[in-house]
Amino acid sequence: MTNHWNDIQFSDCMLVIGGNPAENHPISMKYVTKAKKNGGKLITVDPRFTRTAAVSDIYAPMRSGTDIAFIGGLINYVLENKLYHDEYVRKYTNASFIISEDYDFEDGIFTGYDEDSRSYEKSTWVFERDEEGNIVKDESLSHPRTVYQMMKKHFSRYDVETVCSVTGTPKEDYLKVAETFCGTGAKEKTGTIMYAMGTTQHTVGSQNIRAYGMLQLLLGNVGRAGGGVNALRGECNVQGSTDFGLLFHLMPGYIGAPTQSERHQSLDAYNENETPAAGFWSNKPKFLASYLKAQYGKNATKANDFGYDFFPKGRRNYSHISLFESMYDGEIKGMLIWGQNPMVGGANVRKVRAALQKLDWLVAMDLWETETAAFWKEKAGSNPAEVQTEVFMLPAAGPFEKEGSVTNSGRWMQYRWKAIDPKNDSRSDSWFAHNLAIRLQKLYANDNSEIAKPFKAMDWSFGDSDYPDMDLVNREINGYDLNTGRTVNHFADLKDDGTTSSGNWIYAGFYPDAAPGEEKNYAKRRDDKDTGMENYLNWSYAWPANRRILYNRASADLNGKPWSSDKEGIWYDKAAETWTGYDVPDFGVATSPSDPGWENPFIMLPDGKGGLFAAGMAEGPFPEHYEPYESPVPNAFSSVQLNPAVKIWGGDMNQKGEAADFPIVATTYRLTEHWQSGSMTRNLEWPSEIMPHMFVELSEELAKEKGIKEKDKVVISSARGEIEAFAMVTKRFKPYSVRGQKVHHVGMPWHYGYEGIATGSIANYLTPHIGDANTMIPEYKAFLCDVRRA
Amino acid sequence: MKKQNSNESTVKRFSKAFIISHWVNAFAFFALYITALPLYTDFFNWLYPVFGGPEMARLLHRIFAVLFIVPLFLLIIFDFAGFKNWAKNILKWEKKDFQFLMAFPKEFFLGKSKVPKQDFFNAGEKLNSLLTIMCTLMLIGSGFVMWFPGAFASGVVQWAYPIHNIGFGLALAVVVGHIFLSIGHPNSKASMRGMTKGDVPISYAKEHHGVWYDEMVKKGEIKEEKDKSKGA
Amino acid sequence: MAYAKLVDVTICTGCRGCMVACKNWNDLPVDTRDYQGSYQSHDKPNGKTWNVLQMKEYENQSGGFEWLFRHQACMHCEEAACVKVCPEVAITTTDMGNVVIDQEKCVGCTYCVQNCPFGIVELAEYVNADGEKAERAQKCDMCNDRIHEGLEPACAVTCPLDAIVFGTKEEMLELAKERLEEAKLTYPDAQIYDPPGVDGTNMIYLLAHPPEVYDLPPNPKVPTSAVVWKDYAQPLGKALLGVTTMAVFTGFITNKLFNKEGHGHDTEEGGEINEETKQ
Repeated sequence: MTNHWNDIQFSDCMLVIGGNPAENHPISMKYVTKAKKNGGKLITVDPRFTRTAAVSDIYAPMRSGTDIAFIGGLINYVLENKLYHDEYVRKYTNASFIISEDYDFEDGIFTGYDEDSRSYEKSTWVFERDEEGNIVKDESLSHPRTVYQMMKKHFSRYDVETVCSVTGTPKEDYLKVAETFCGTGAKEKTGTIMYAMGTTQHTVGSQNIRAYGMLQLLLGNVGRAGGGVNALRGECNVQGSTDFGLLFHLMPGYIGAPTQSERHQSLDAYNENETPAAGFWSNKPKFLASYLKAQYGKNATKANDFGYDFFPKGRRNYSHISLFESMYDGEIKGMLIWGQNPMVGGANVRKVRAALQKLDWLVAMDLWETETAAFWKEKAGSNPAEVQTEVFMLPAAGPFEKEGSVTNSGRWMQYRWKAIDPKNDSRSDSWFAHNLAIRLQKLYANDNSEIAKPFKAMDWSFGDSDYPDMDLVNREINGYDLNTGRTVNHFADLKDDGTTSSGNWIYAGFYPDAAPGEEKNYAKRRDDKDTGMENYLNWSYAWPANRRILYNRASADLNGKPWSSDKEGIWYDKAAETWTGYDVPDFGVATSPSDPGWENPFIMLPDGKGGLFAAGMAEGPFPEHYEPYESPVPNAFSSVQLNPAVKIWGGDMNQKGEAADFPIVATTYRLTEHWQSGSMTRNLEWPSEIMPHMFVELSEELAKEKGIKEKDKVVISSARGEIEAFAMVTKRFKPYSVRGQKVHHVGMPWHYGYEGIATGSIANYLTPHIGDANTMIPEYKAFLCDVRRA
Repeated sequence: MKKQNSNESTVKRFSKAFIISHWVNAFAFFALYITALPLYTDFFNWLYPVFGGPEMARLLHRIFAVLFIVPLFLLIIFDFAGFKNWAKNILKWEKKDFQFLMAFPKEFFLGKSKVPKQDFFNAGEKLNSLLTIMCTLMLIGSGFVMWFPGAFASGVVQWAYPIHNIGFGLALAVVVGHIFLSIGHPNSKASMRGMTKGDVPISYAKEHHGVWYDEMVKKGEIKEEKDKSKGA
Repeated sequence: MAYAKLVDVTICTGCRGCMVACKNWNDLPVDTRDYQGSYQSHDKPNGKTWNVLQMKEYENQSGGFEWLFRHQACMHCEEAACVKVCPEVAITTTDMGNVVIDQEKCVGCTYCVQNCPFGIVELAEYVNADGEKAERAQKCDMCNDRIHEGLEPACAVTCPLDAIVFGTKEEMLELAKERLEEAKLTYPDAQIYDPPGVDGTNMIYLLAHPPEVYDLPPNPKVPTSAVVWKDYAQPLGKALLGVTTMAVFTGFITNKLFNKEGHGHDTEEGGEINEETKQ
């Protein structure tokens, strides 16, 4: 989230797309309801009429996998009708930048495409620069190669007629959405986009979000109260997990993990190649050095590049799909499965099972025996006699049996205290990590091989107890000034000379200026007094720097005054010559009107401007609609059917379904009553009781065509397998009219499995192994299937 | 109170089936009464443990409910003639019946009244029978609904309660009177013999059921007897 | 003073936190049903599931589609039919206006079940103080234990949207009126449901549509049959029983006094009456 939960209440319009807060983030609706009470409008755009749609002012159905078409149409609507926030767009975004003459786009393909590697060479996706290296701009926005004009041209193809014929949205619904949401382009108004996995789990997932970001920049909704692009995180600590490097390609604090490429050969090489000249990321070497100091302690010296060589260098893509493909190919021998249940949650489960069967060993840590831990059983469809994998189960403690912090979607790091001791032999995750580290260090203590070096170098000083001392862990995350021994106050205090350490630079400051033994953990703060605009600055700690709304410089106009009086964020106090306000400025507080950076609110970017044109994405600087991997129709916008930058997995068990055999669009989703793969909720009686059975939702029209009656058992089949479920015939599903053709769609929860109290078919037997071009997140949300009576 | 002359000649009044039916019915009535009593008024809640709890009381109530209905069928099967006679008789209402009823209070309280000759069943018995039938229909009908509430509309079930309640109140009043007249009231005590041995003294028949007596005399089933009690 | 629970269906999102909170606080057993064909888990509240979220697909007059959510539980009628018909005085209205069932007194007669105008009360297994199991009438008691300790009912505490609010009846009616004004902007037919036929309820609704749309009785009353039964038939029955007993007793005495011989009534031979009878 660029903003935070409480902030939603200030929104004039909330566009929920690819998310379902009423069902999957029920508490968030508290703030949505507040906003509605104040006159804010709630819009839901979703393939299904969800519980969020039920309380929305406007519901617009949209065929799964057509977000870019939908949002592209809105961008076009904004540009055509000049609804954008003019000053904001001119000054705070790169709309006025002139794009290089070499850049082009034709029939779905941007310049620099290499068909063989299915990837782009991005050197043409750049701006024109003058002799001094400055970007050439035209603030009148009239130059045909300005970002503004190029964007306008790109999205002119996304007219309402074409968009609606692709998304299947009734035109009047689409126009209602367009009018209402694009109305937030008015200076005094803001609108927010709330999204979740319905956006990301597509082959174009990242570009979907890009499209949201662009629309919000155009409407001047970023950095402002009631605005933003807000990812609704699906777990209480999924924000924390990504912050702390639980992604295959990142180190803690979103520092790219080093790979075996030439560019990362040494710390110097890494710093040279990965550090932008301007913007906040120019400090990256300081964060990395401090991180390595936290990791290797005294063993990290300037002489040994702070132990950079100890750090594993990635050889390839380690995303979820890749891991299981590798496992299936026999390249992975063992696996620790920790708070995950890929037999339910992974795409293409038949392949997941086959991959697991090739493991020598599997250690599963969870509260209950998950489907993954039981993959070898008959009920999993395995033949136990043939599975050679040795499976260990370690009982994990529940959330209330352990201490630590969780970071919510709004980046608030909130401490949780232990309520009860873990039951029986179960242990907290930190216990497992702690003991694993200690035992590995012991194991390699007398080993002088290369492989032993990182273990021996690792600094693991979290006390002598069986459980790690959480306070020491917290201090390490925040970081120390190694000369004074006091914790650092701010990530700006971090240095690249080895005199500071920090386990995660973005959290530096949550445990500020504490001498050894002195406790000052801001994650434990519980002051519920509103410090203005419901930011509650003394409640917990929000990274970075306790900032509640990112890019909040954009909440003020060119004079440093808030755009609107009821949406004040920060402002420039002329008398005091400083930025102040209800939030921690995401800006140099001393930046004065005469400073060159005065109009550059996006300090994380080198040029400080919101990126309407951005080269960071794998598939192009502007979002472009491509159909899902499995789609019932040809792409209306170009002859390129599928995102040209996605990796297509071949080999066994990666069948692709064609519309002729599988004419129905399918999507998967979560329900309020269950959580993720259900390993927790399906083992609890009460949530199980209110959603006890696996079902598939389908329209009355489709049911009639297929002779399916309410409560019938039906078989849903895709190219990869078939499952059984109860039919839920509902008015909430309606067939789409897509490019003149009637397209049916069905939806299934993916919570169910064969373990626990509430059991049912695993929806992910149907989903394909294909992922987004940037993140490799699987396309769970749009695939083809067929349905018949069981 | 006059002693019944033991060797006095008698006349057959009720068949075995009729008698058994009556007593089974009577027993079932009291069993039903007592098993429902604590539910009727919580003053009798102490009866629950006696029956083994409210569930058992309700179960017994249902068993006795079946037992309560059985006699009717017994009668129809084993003494259809008696049943027919009874049915025909109680539905026949004439002036003498009303006169009987007019005179009844005097008879009831003072034991002396002038009434016209009565049928096999006198008007009091007819009334008793009719009231009993009515109450029984109310009780059985509503009871059936209460037993199987799922099979009926909720309005029907809801009305079953007051109907059962009224039927019971009425039935109990009738029964109390009926019992008193059969065992408590000096004048009709002979009738008790009719419900135990099945026969009654001819003198009793003549006194209480003059029309029936005359018919039997006419048919020659009994000899006209000298009215010994006349003028006593 | 009467307290009440206001249920604002116009903002409910159907998360069913109220259902789980209720089971949790009241330690109610699991009551899993076969597949129901929709998201709704149980057709209505019952003895094991004291509140059930109704989820109804509704096409309004203007052709719009709505998915309606309604928290259903005991309405806590001011004039409660269950209280009236209970033969064991096991159901009572507390000083806070909530209707509670004492399962120790309940005998499981189902009179309340049959007479509840909202179809809320049902029997369910109850384990008494002696550990004996029996089917006893059970229903939402508005968290009687909680509210008498100054806490809100579990469902109200859990509701993230304040779609369920607890307070004095007066406050709740005020709040309902306030919210009604807002709700009317979206739902012209919005109304407060506090039916006068049962003298008002201590769970009141702010409905988006007329009550019939939610399968609520538009004008619920204590059934007339229950009034006839409890206010007339039963007292009369008891009186009748008394009168009869008295009559019998009197008869017994008077006969003792005036009918010592105990012979029957005089039968007139011949005479007018007999003549007529013979015809």
